[in-house]
Amino acid sequence: MNLEELEKRVTLMEDIQEIENLQRVYAYYFDLQRWEDIIDLFSDNAESVEIVDHGLFLGKEGIKKMYWDWIGKGIRSANQPWIQFIITQIGGVMDFSPDGKTAWGRWQTWLCEAKPFGAFPKQEWLHGYYENKYVKENGKWFFSKLHWNNTFCSPFEDGWLKTPLMGLMNYHPTVKPDAPPTAFHPYPSGYHFPYHYKHPITET
Amino acid sequence: MMNLQDLEKQVIRMEDIQEIENLQRRYGYYFDTRNFQAVVDLFSDSADFADLESFGLFRGKEGIRRLYWDDIGRGSRPRDPSESWISTVVIQIGGVVNLDPSGVAAKGRWQTWLAETFLYGGVPRQYWVHGYYENEYVKERGKWFFKKLFWNVTFFTMFETGWLTQPLVGLLPMANPDGPPTAFYPYPSGYKFPYHYNHPITGE
Amino acid sequence: MATLEELQARITRLEDIKQIEKLQRIYGYYLDYFEFQKVVDLFSDNAESVEIADYGVYKGKQGVKRFYLELLGGKPPRIGELSIGMIMQGVVDVDPNGKTAKGRWYCMMIEAKPTISLHEGELRQLWGNGIYENEYVKEEGKWLFKKVFFFLNFRTPYEDGWLKVPVVGQHGPSKEVPPDEPSTYYHPYPSGFHLQPHYKHPITGK
Repeated sequence: MNLEELEKRVTLMEDIQEIENLQRVYAYYFDLQRWEDIIDLFSDNAESVEIVDHGLFLGKEGIKKMYWDWIGKGIRSANQPWIQFIITQIGGVMDFSPDGKTAWGRWQTWLCEAKPFGAFPKQEWLHGYYENKYVKENGKWFFSKLHWNNTFCSPFEDGWLKTPLMGLMNYHPTVKPDAPPTAFHPYPSGYHFPYHYKHPITET
Repeated sequence: MMNLQDLEKQVIRMEDIQEIENLQRRYGYYFDTRNFQAVVDLFSDSADFADLESFGLFRGKEGIRRLYWDDIGRGSRPRDPSESWISTVVIQIGGVVNLDPSGVAAKGRWQTWLAETFLYGGVPRQYWVHGYYENEYVKERGKWFFKKLFWNVTFFTMFETGWLTQPLVGLLPMANPDGPPTAFYPYPSGYKFPYHYNHPITGE
Repeated sequence: MATLEELQARITRLEDIKQIEKLQRIYGYYLDYFEFQKVVDLFSDNAESVEIADYGVYKGKQGVKRFYLELLGGKPPRIGELSIGMIMQGVVDVDPNGKTAKGRWYCMMIEAKPTISLHEGELRQLWGNGIYENEYVKEEGKWLFKKVFFFLNFRTPYEDGWLKVPVVGQHGPSKEVPPDEPSTYYHPYPSGFHLQPHYKHPITGK
């Protein structure tokens, strides 16, 4: 092979590494509750964001509404100290478009959270999958579309078999989604969050 | 400075490691969605064996099909919707992948964390499971496949009890293995699942 | 189009990242099995320090040895003692010189440990969580640990959870194997303190 082809392959390896980093950096910012920094990881032409059953939020405006207004509660400083998000990012599988400018990634997440639910502070175990889309603009990778599909959100005391879903989170008094959630079917529905990729061997 | 050929070899090695990591993660995701045909198709036709938990030793591609398709997947029997609560989430963490100098063989050690639900003794239960993999991979026709899958379980406990109180819920032998499990010594035995690699610094 | 030299530099950087990820994971696997000498052998002879939770700072290769071999490994693990660390979500940055690097990792711990001190008391089953912000150095073509810093978030009994009982177990430095300096940064849950990352924002650069 020649230098040009080799460069393409090196670039692809670098792209994978950069997107893995982007995904992990997103998660660390989430845990640090740095919502502005998260918004800056999204492209200005971002498509959408969908998290649990909050609903579908479109465009960069939707992304701001999701992270800044809804999750971040519109405040500059962090929440009360006992509120905790730990969203560990595991097992990313990435695939690229032929022109190398778009990518899709599936990830698994394991969460230890502490947040208010109704009047009470609760501690929860959560599991979820991502199927995200990334775009390369001016040589850098950004989030274009983020879709976090929640498997279960169970109180620490109960477990997913007993209490798979602590409750619905599909209503906010002032922040309105652009559309209802597209795929909220938590455990034990048996729903399988579709893959972006084909089987690597059989290609079905 | 190296020449084009050497550089190409380096690029291929990087791509191989990335592909093997992806293969391992995809295995996990197919397992979670209970797509056992897809799992079987990730194995080489000349696969060695699969030895998982206390299921027993399953040899060759035929044994692997027997294990995943017939035993775990229960064959082509469609799932009853009321069984959708039966689930696994198997999280693949921390792969240490080493390529053979031949470039067509590799070994990998991984850690797994599972949140499972299925019937045991006629009762639906929720489990935490931990285990290590020591797997082997083979490159055929330019693609990476599983050659050997060896999943060594540390503990298999119920959500309500925990690993110290109840390290093993019970044994799960399959009806039709080719042999007994080769190394099933769960916690608290103190068994150390051997590494495929030497110490990276001392070489021992 | 890149030159051969530029491509070589780029691929070397990618390999460095993969090597460091591997080193970190191998560290984790040795710790799982209490193989402390093997852990020590992953550190550079010019290692800076190791600091874990609120045990204090142990400096230099000598301190690293004292920490792992004498403090953690001072007594053989008891029957039923378990300390699994699942290390994940690594963000590794290699410095432009290609000889040093930093890495941030999450660690999810599954433990059965004594809780009066590191080695005393009845065993309890514990969930743990924390963040590594480590430093690495490349010597003679191999990556080694330069500095290990583990920020403990919670270490909670299985029966209770982080909200109810955030931290149990050894508090503060050991008297038998004291550190070289007191701990620099210990603010476990629910302090609200967040260990900030070593890296700048990939887009805004802040």
